[in-house]
Amino acid sequence: MTEKRGSFKNWTVLLAISAFSLSLLGTFLVRSGVLTSVHAFATDPRRGIFILIFLVAVIGSSLALFAWRAPKVGLGGRFGLISRESLLLTNNVLLAVACATVLLGTLYPLLIDALGVGKISVGPPYFNAVFVPVMTPLLFLMGVGPFARWKEASIPEIIRTVRWAFLAALVVAIALPLIYGQWSALTALGLLLAGWIIFTAGLNFAQRVQHTRGQQSFLAAALKQPRSFFGMHVAHIGIAVFVIGVTMVSSFQDEKDVKMEAGETVSVAGYSFTFNGVKAVEGPNYVAAQGDFDLAVNGKFQRKMNPEKRNYHSSQMPMTEASIDAGLLRDVYVSLGEPIDRDKPEGAWAVRVYYKPFVDWIWGGCVLMALGGLLAILDRRYRAKSRAAAPIEATVGSQQA
Amino acid sequence: MNRYFWILGGFAALVALLAVGLGLNPRDVPSPLVGKPAPAFNLNVLATPDKTLGPKDMQGKVWLLNVWASWCVSCRAEHPVLVEFSKKVDVPLIGLNYKEVRGDGAFDMSKMPADEERKLAFQRANKWLADHGDPYKLTVMDLDGRVGIDYGVYGVPETYVIDKSGVIRMKHTGPITPEILGKKIMPLLAELNK
Amino acid sequence: MKRQFLIALFVFGAFFGSTAAFANAATEAATAADPVAEKRLQKLSEELRCLVCQNQTIADSNAELAQDLRREVRGMIKDGKSDQEIVDFMVTRYGDFVLYRPPVKGITLLLWGGPVALMLFGLFALRGYLRRRASQINAEDKPLTAAEASRADALLKEIDQK
Repeated sequence: MTEKRGSFKNWTVLLAISAFSLSLLGTFLVRSGVLTSVHAFATDPRRGIFILIFLVAVIGSSLALFAWRAPKVGLGGRFGLISRESLLLTNNVLLAVACATVLLGTLYPLLIDALGVGKISVGPPYFNAVFVPVMTPLLFLMGVGPFARWKEASIPEIIRTVRWAFLAALVVAIALPLIYGQWSALTALGLLLAGWIIFTAGLNFAQRVQHTRGQQSFLAAALKQPRSFFGMHVAHIGIAVFVIGVTMVSSFQDEKDVKMEAGETVSVAGYSFTFNGVKAVEGPNYVAAQGDFDLAVNGKFQRKMNPEKRNYHSSQMPMTEASIDAGLLRDVYVSLGEPIDRDKPEGAWAVRVYYKPFVDWIWGGCVLMALGGLLAILDRRYRAKSRAAAPIEATVGSQQA
Repeated sequence: MNRYFWILGGFAALVALLAVGLGLNPRDVPSPLVGKPAPAFNLNVLATPDKTLGPKDMQGKVWLLNVWASWCVSCRAEHPVLVEFSKKVDVPLIGLNYKEVRGDGAFDMSKMPADEERKLAFQRANKWLADHGDPYKLTVMDLDGRVGIDYGVYGVPETYVIDKSGVIRMKHTGPITPEILGKKIMPLLAELNK
Repeated sequence: MKRQFLIALFVFGAFFGSTAAFANAATEAATAADPVAEKRLQKLSEELRCLVCQNQTIADSNAELAQDLRREVRGMIKDGKSDQEIVDFMVTRYGDFVLYRPPVKGITLLLWGGPVALMLFGLFALRGYLRRRASQINAEDKPLTAAEASRADALLKEIDQK
C-alpha cells in the first residue's frame, strides 16, 4: 500500500524497525538466561550483557532516527474513515496487538520477579485464552476487507453482499461439530470464522470475475485476474484452513495411554490398534525395540505400524520414534513407552495411541499463506520493467486490487 | 520532542527491565511456605527406628531442617559446611533423608517389597553418615517423599530455618555455602534466638 | 503465528516428551484403570509445571518429582477432591509458579486485562489518528492566505532562478 498509494510511509518504516528489533530481542531472551524457556539454550548472563548492548545500539539509534525524521515525511494519499485503507490499518493494529500480547505474556513473569512481588509462570493456557478475543475481530474483518472500496466504502452495501456468506458459515459452524460428536461454543466460533473467510473469499472472487468478464467465459475471465488478487484470496483461505486445523485438533483430539500384552487391542476414535509384540532391530547407528501394530478401522485392516524405541550408539537417552499414519482429515499415531517389566521386553508394554483430526491442515494453511504471498509478489504490476513500459496500465490496475 | 519519542521511551523502559532481569535467576522458585507453620509429619528416626519425630517435638527451639540423600551429589558438596556448623553452633540440625532408595533410579521399585526398601534405606543412610560425618542431631527417614512434597521440595539439598513457634522463616534451595551461612542463616538464627 | 509454534511445540513436545514420560510409566500404566479419572489426571497434569525441568508439564516430564506429583494427583482424584482443591494443594506447596495458567489476582490483572485493553487502546488511537488525518487534509485543501501565497511565489521564483 505504501508503494501503490504513498500512504503510511512512517508506519511501514516503524514496522520494519520493529520486526528486526523483535528478532534481536528474541535472540537476547533465549541466550541470556533471563527467561526459562524450551527455546533457551547455552544461556550465559555475560553474553546477555553483550547482546543487550548491541540491542540498545541498533534499536536505540533506529528509533531515535525515526523519531527525528518521521514528522518530516508527508501525508500521502487521502481516504475516508471507512475505506479499504482504514480497514487495512485496522488489520495492522490488530496484528500488532496480537504481537504485543505475546510479548506481554512472555515478559510478564520477568516483570513480576524484577519488581519483587512474586513469582508466576505464564504458559499455553494463557496464550490460548487471550489469543481468541484478539484474533476474532481480525478474522472477521478479513472477510469484509476485500469488499471495501479504496478511499470510500459503504457499510450497508457490504452487508448486503456478504450476509449470505455469513449464513452459510453459521450453518457449517453449527453442523460440523455435531457431526464430529461434540458441540462447544469455542469450536463453533473457530469454524464460523474459518467458514466466513472461505465463503466471502469465494464470493468476492466470483463477483469480481462477473463484473470484469464482459463477453468472455467465466473461466477465461477468472484466469485473467491479476496475480495479487489470487494471492490475496489464497492467503486468506490459507488462514481459514489454519484456523480449521487448530480448532478441530484442539476440540476433537484424543489419546490413550495403556498397557498392552501381545494380542490385545486398544481403540481411539474408531481406530483400533492390535499389538503383536516387540522385536529387536538394528539400524545403521542404533539398536531398537520395534513394535508391531495392526491398524484397523471398523474391523477392516488398514496397515502395519512400527513404532520404535531406539538406543543410538552415541547417546544414553533412548529416543522414541512414533509411527504416524498421516491423512488429509486426520493423523493417527502410536508410540512405545517402556516394557512393564524391564527385564522382559517380550512381555507387556506401556503404549500411547493418538488421534489428531485435521492436524495437517495447520501446516497446509501455512503453505497456502506462503503461496498467496508468493503469488502477490509475482504480480506483473510490481515489476519495474513492465511498470516503466506501461504507465497507463499501472494506473488502471491500481484501482482494482 | 514529538510524540514519536514516546516509542524511544518505551524501549528504554524495556531495556531497564531486561538489565534487571540479567541479575535474577528465573529458575529460582521462592517458597510459599515461608511465614507459615512447618507442615506436620511423624517419621521414623534413623538411629532409633522404632521411635518417631515431628516438628511438634521441636517446639520452643529454633532449628534447621536439612533435606538430603546419599545419591545427591550436591549434598556431598555442602556436607563439610554442615559438619562445621554442627560443631560450632548450638542450633539443632535435623536431617530429612528424602527417598533414599526410590530416588536413586538404580532400583526397580515394582520388585522391592516395603520392608526390604526400609532396611536398605536405613543401611545406606547410616553408611553415608559414617563415611562423611554426621552433623545431624538426628535424621528422620522420608522413604516415599510424601513429606518432601508437603515441604515443597523440588531439588535436593534444601534447608529450612524454623523458629520457636514452629513457623518456617527461611528456605534455601541448593547447597549451603559458607557465604550463605554467614550472610543469611547466622543473622537470622541470632535474631530468632533473642 | 505463535499459536502455530505452540501447537507445533506441543506435537514435538509430546513426541520427544513421551520418551521422557515413559520411564516408570510402566508402573503408572499398570495402575491406571479408570479412564475418566485418567482424563482428569491428564488435563490437570497439563496445567502444572514440573519444577525440576521447568519447561515441561508434569504430564510430559520424566522427572522423579513429576511422577510423584502425578501419583499424588491420581490419589486426590480417587479421594473425590475437586480440580480446584488439587490445584490449591500444589500452589500451597510450590507457589503460583507451578501453574501454567497464571491465577487472576492483583498482580496479574495487567496480564489478563492487557490484551483486550491493548486492543481497545489500539483501535481508539487509530480512530484518533484517522480523524486527525482527515482534518489535516481538509486544512491542506483550503486556499492559501495572502501572506502564504506571496511566500509561495517568492520561493518558486527562487527555484526558477537556480
